[in-house]
Amino acid sequence: MSSATKFRLGPKKNLWPYLLITPALAVILLILGFPVFRLITLSFQQFGLAEIVSGIPTWVGFENFQALLKDPEFWTVLRRTFIFTFAMVAASIVIGAWLAHLMLRMNPILRWLLNTTLILVWAIPALVGISIWKWMFSFEFSIITSTINRLGFDFAQRNWFTNTFSGFSIIGGVVVWGAIPFITISIYAALTQVPKELLEAAAIDGANSRQIFRSVILPILLPIYVILISLSIIWDFQVFTQIWVLLDNRPASEYYTMAIYAFEKSFGLSEYGMGAAIALLMIFSLLGVTWFYIKKMVQIGDGNA
Amino acid sequence: MGFPVYWMVTTSFKNRQDVLSTEPTILPRSFTIENYQNAFSREGFYTSLRNSLIVVLITVAISLFLATFASVAIARTKFTGKRSFISALLIVQMLPLSALIIPLFLLLTRLQLTNTIGGLALTYVAFILPFTIWTLRGFLANIPTDIEEAALVDGCTRVQAYRHVLLPLMAPGLVATAIFAFIQAWNEFLLAYIIMQSQENLTLPVWLAGFTTRTGTDWGPLMAASTVTAIPVVIFFSLIQKRIATGVTAGAVKG
Repeated sequence: MSSATKFRLGPKKNLWPYLLITPALAVILLILGFPVFRLITLSFQQFGLAEIVSGIPTWVGFENFQALLKDPEFWTVLRRTFIFTFAMVAASIVIGAWLAHLMLRMNPILRWLLNTTLILVWAIPALVGISIWKWMFSFEFSIITSTINRLGFDFAQRNWFTNTFSGFSIIGGVVVWGAIPFITISIYAALTQVPKELLEAAAIDGANSRQIFRSVILPILLPIYVILISLSIIWDFQVFTQIWVLLDNRPASEYYTMAIYAFEKSFGLSEYGMGAAIALLMIFSLLGVTWFYIKKMVQIGDGNA
Repeated sequence: MGFPVYWMVTTSFKNRQDVLSTEPTILPRSFTIENYQNAFSREGFYTSLRNSLIVVLITVAISLFLATFASVAIARTKFTGKRSFISALLIVQMLPLSALIIPLFLLLTRLQLTNTIGGLALTYVAFILPFTIWTLRGFLANIPTDIEEAALVDGCTRVQAYRHVLLPLMAPGLVATAIFAFIQAWNEFLLAYIIMQSQENLTLPVWLAGFTTRTGTDWGPLMAASTVTAIPVVIFFSLIQKRIATGVTAGAVKG
């Protein structure tokens, strides 16, 4: 910390940092500022087809929010979204971390292979990835179903989405599959940044591999994990395209998550005010869950962690 | 992990009959390049390839440029409002895109930026920036400040210390961040679909979506086109992968 202070740029009233962040801040504010403002005003309005035609919104105060909080469907969807998010985040972080540690110990050829596979998966446009999965599990031409049948089970032609558990497992599978490359590569990159001297010194001092992991590797990796977990929560909470495409653009209400619910209210029922209110509640619940992590991340960014 | 990729590539070389077989086999039974011929001869392949390349290169260049400055500010300086700035970067990522689309479209219409490469690239930069700043900050935090200090002691100016000492050390971080920005922009669908409406302005993912119509999906050609779409990312990565693996930081610290 003291060395950072020494390097700090000049005396107190320093414009330098502001000059550095202004361009980035300007672009973000320009493109996202107005839409967010509009989303907030929209949530206090009754805004449907009639209002679009007339151009005059009806202000309703907190009515949209009150209606939602009284609606049992809202709570069901919220709970479902939380459970689904938790499962996906846990799966992708555990698998990602495992692969990253594996990569560190692999022989170079295998590592290259795994690395290439990860990049290939990452490189595939989300939409295409979802299409491939959809097709792998399709009703008529499914390689998965036919392989299972060939192994002696009789699934005939199976619609995997009639059962919400298997349906959500497939959706989660697509999400986790798509998330793993980024997580693995980030953890792996962080692992390679752990100074060899530290590991050697610990080994010389007689630490075993578990102690080395706990006292040397983990503290260095902890910030990366905090970041990856919070980003995963943020991304997985908002999963939209996977559900939308896998369920043929018309997901049944058992498959509603917050993002789909908001979208359906807005564009399906043309209740844009209601949709905006759901979106805002979604942001608030996300803030609620990630509050701890956000605080930690801000601390990390502030250099006080 | 790799199976879906394998399935995409092998399907792209199968003939129509095998693609639509109700009893698909894991090993391909036929080999043909007709899916690729079909995909390439479709309207709009070359224009959307060109559009995608332009949008992505602009996005990566601008967002990396802006993010480098901002991340140095966060990682190397103290200033009032820093915490708010960091919090804003994190909260921006929580905004659900599916809900922001309509007001965003209205805004771009007002700025007369819809259906322009510049408008799409600007939007991408705004959405990608928070994450790129954050990632670069992480890489910067792992670079010891001693090296810059030494440069300062040796008589470098602050800007020189950044340019000649810090920037080269940031290289692996910049590369990794560039890959991320590249892939995000290259694969983005929803924004491109809403913002770019005319046929000559499509990007590759939007063009790919055209393979699925009301009557069904043209799987063979779609898999061929998807394989082709994935290739630039793979090449891009393999060119620079070495720099990440060798870890420029470790070498510098030792030296």
